[in-house]
Amino acid sequence: MIAAAWICLFAPLAAALAITLAGGRLTRRGAGYLATTAVGISFVAAVVTFALLLGDSPHDRSHPSTLWRWLTAGSYHFDLRILVDPLSVFMMLIVSGVGCLIVAYSIGYMDGDDEERRYFAYMALFVFSMLLLVQGGNLLMLLAGWGLVGLSSYLLIGFWHDRPSAIAAAKKAFVMNAIGDATMALALFLVIQRTGSLDFEKVFPQAGTFGGWAANLIALGLLGGAVAKSAQLPLQTWLPDAMEGPTPVSALIHAATMVTAGVYLIVRTHALFEAAPKVQELAAGLGAATLLIAGLIALVQTDIKRVIAYSTMSQIGYMFLAAGIGAYANSMFHLMTHAFFKALLFMAAGIVIHALAGEQDLRKMGGLRTLLPRTYWAFAIGALALAGMPPFSGFFSKDSILAAALANNGWYGDVLWAAGMVGTFLTGLYAFRMLFMAFWGEPSAFVREHLMTGSHAHAREGHAQHDGHETHMHTGEGPFSMTSTVTVLAVLAVVGGWIQFAGLWTLVSDWLDPVAPSLVDASGVQEAVSSIVAVLLGLAGIGVAWWIYGSRRAAAPRSWRVFERKFWFDELYDALFYRPAVLLSQGLLRWIEQPLVFGSIGEIAAGFRDLGLGARRLQTGLVRTYALAIAASLAVVTVVFVVVR
Amino acid sequence: MILADAGNILVWIVWVVAAFACLGSGIAVISFSNPFYSALSLIGNLASLAVLYLLLAAEFVAAAQVLVYAGAVMVMFLFVIAYLGGHADAPWAGGPSWQALWAVAASAALLVEVIVVIGLKTGGRLSHSPPTDFSFGSPATIGRLFLTDHLLAFEITSIVLLIAAVGGVILGSHSRETAAE
Amino acid sequence: MNGPAVTWYLCVAAFLFFTGALGVLIRRSPLIVLLSLELMLNGANLALIAFSRFHGRGDGQIFALTVMAVAASEVVVGLGLIVAMARRKLDLDVDKLRTLRG
Repeated sequence: MIAAAWICLFAPLAAALAITLAGGRLTRRGAGYLATTAVGISFVAAVVTFALLLGDSPHDRSHPSTLWRWLTAGSYHFDLRILVDPLSVFMMLIVSGVGCLIVAYSIGYMDGDDEERRYFAYMALFVFSMLLLVQGGNLLMLLAGWGLVGLSSYLLIGFWHDRPSAIAAAKKAFVMNAIGDATMALALFLVIQRTGSLDFEKVFPQAGTFGGWAANLIALGLLGGAVAKSAQLPLQTWLPDAMEGPTPVSALIHAATMVTAGVYLIVRTHALFEAAPKVQELAAGLGAATLLIAGLIALVQTDIKRVIAYSTMSQIGYMFLAAGIGAYANSMFHLMTHAFFKALLFMAAGIVIHALAGEQDLRKMGGLRTLLPRTYWAFAIGALALAGMPPFSGFFSKDSILAAALANNGWYGDVLWAAGMVGTFLTGLYAFRMLFMAFWGEPSAFVREHLMTGSHAHAREGHAQHDGHETHMHTGEGPFSMTSTVTVLAVLAVVGGWIQFAGLWTLVSDWLDPVAPSLVDASGVQEAVSSIVAVLLGLAGIGVAWWIYGSRRAAAPRSWRVFERKFWFDELYDALFYRPAVLLSQGLLRWIEQPLVFGSIGEIAAGFRDLGLGARRLQTGLVRTYALAIAASLAVVTVVFVVVR
Repeated sequence: MILADAGNILVWIVWVVAAFACLGSGIAVISFSNPFYSALSLIGNLASLAVLYLLLAAEFVAAAQVLVYAGAVMVMFLFVIAYLGGHADAPWAGGPSWQALWAVAASAALLVEVIVVIGLKTGGRLSHSPPTDFSFGSPATIGRLFLTDHLLAFEITSIVLLIAAVGGVILGSHSRETAAE
Repeated sequence: MNGPAVTWYLCVAAFLFFTGALGVLIRRSPLIVLLSLELMLNGANLALIAFSRFHGRGDGQIFALTVMAVAASEVVVGLGLIVAMARRKLDLDVDKLRTLRG
């Protein structure tokens, strides 16, 4: 079991290194196959680990394994160790499983790109980093994985490095994440100071002894990291821009796995959060606020990937909400189903974008239902799951979160429940607005030009300059590697939720209970009420979307500028941090750097030059002058000696 | 007593003669424009110094002074001067220069300083010297000191001389090569 | 001790030393510079021997003998240099050797 876990961890790293080292000796397609195989091996190893772990008794399912001692600093030491327990295996399965499908999808999607090998090396590196994050046996390993996924994310967002917007988005993501990394590292310093260790089993039992302010600071620091990584308020602005990366990257990193790392962190360190209940409530509140704001912004976005990106933020808001009220199993369950249906949505959108030669604007689409029928059905399944319609997976996971919120004592739970309900309405609205805009109606001129002329350029998004250098006929829905993986994900998006049905069978909760026992337990009535209200609100959202965008019986209302400008978060941060920093730098340059530093450098240099010129005149080269200098000095020194003594 | 006084006066006379010969020949060394005469003056200077050494009961050093210095070293000097020809600069030719003025000033300042220090700081302490026996300064005493207390200095001196000899050979052979070129 | 006190010997030694120093400083012929150096060394020797007598110990004489050996070495090297200069047809004038001028 431990060996399988190590194989699961290192197979993608080996693939990344192999692709990097092989360079041109490996064909582009070979790189894709190699990466897919490696991630597939990871998945198989994860399944083996899971199967073996099933054989253990439920309360004996935590198996740390140390490879070697990694760091020693005084009496502290940190091992290169992983932890195999229900939570990490759960995440390993999602990461390697969804990762395998998306990497396979990439073979078709990235076909013909100039730098496929680099892409697959990055993807394999990302899978390794994410596995390191979820398998890490102490907080330091977790932080290392945390930083590495940030790096891979940065590399993949900026994959098309000839596009300035991609570079800017990559930098933005990296900087935003760095804020979270910093607060998380500070929290870990506090943990070390309090416990002298970062190992999970040593730290968590002591969480109650930290004392109020320390517990709050640690939880706040960890929450900062989680918020940045998961694109929650107030560090959410990087995620929509991250859509500059290739669509499979958006599917894997910015929907299915990496952005949910914040949820994983909260669940993993739930002991630390439970020691600081206020911070945990803050996490739930941030989640609720994010799911509302992101849902509202998603209503007016016109870029198909950005709509999905905002829906990702919104769904992660649900997970934060659940983790914040202590419904850890529900949170992880939604994480899993979300990985399925959000990856499905992204990949279906990828097929659309692929077919339309890189066009992502919803307003130029339309009528794709008849032209891309299988993609339409896949997208519809994803949208239904997203909106939480039974029997699709989102229904089971999202509604149990809402039920947990209702079960949470006090008015705070009710507020969260209400916010989640409003979010459900918004979800139905924006999901089906997207669906109707892209797939219903008459094919637009743009669509006809690309899909009905019989011969269309096989192009990659954003690579217009390469258009036509590799024209060949295809069915419009992409090669087998794309359609097959989308089909698998569509099936998963339907059935993925069936493993847990509140009140009847609770496989996920039972599995995760030894690691993260839930703090709330919703009653059957609460479950039923939540489900009915949520489904009705979701249907209402779908209905409104159909009314406006599907049947076109009403004109689309003028969108509010506050949504279009994304609540002015970018502008706010620009004014708060960027501009003052620029002004400060310019001021320092003008008033300090130029006159003082540069000026003094010139003066000092000139002074030494003059000194050297003067000293040069002393060097007459005449030996007698030197002898005279010695004699004169001797005379002076003699006087000094005599007088001083 | 009379005899002792007579001995004292005799020593004084010898000292005065030797000291003035020493100073005069020293000035002569640096004043002659012909190095040959300068070298001869230095031989006189060394001889008069040997007399002073004798007055200070340093017989062996006096003998070494005459034999090694006046005999060997100065003969070498004279050979080289004879080989190179006796031309040198006139010491005060061309009027006083800044260099010369400063040199005189610095030397005079040092001399005055030392004499003032000898006069003022030592007081009368230097006027009484302990009586010595016959063996003081004799070759036997010096030799014993060299081979016991100062063995290291003795050996190092021999090494210095060896190195100097080697250096002289190398300088000479080098110049022969360049001359051949 | 018969004759003058050590003080007088020291005065002669000082005068001799500074005569030599003056010679080194004002003469341009390397030969005479070397001769002046001998004067300086002998002045120092005289002081050493005078102090040896004053203290009644032989160590100063040992020192003087060592100085004589060093002086002999120095003369060997100095004369070798002068001969080498002459062989290269260089002027025997220390002021002409000013390659080190800055």
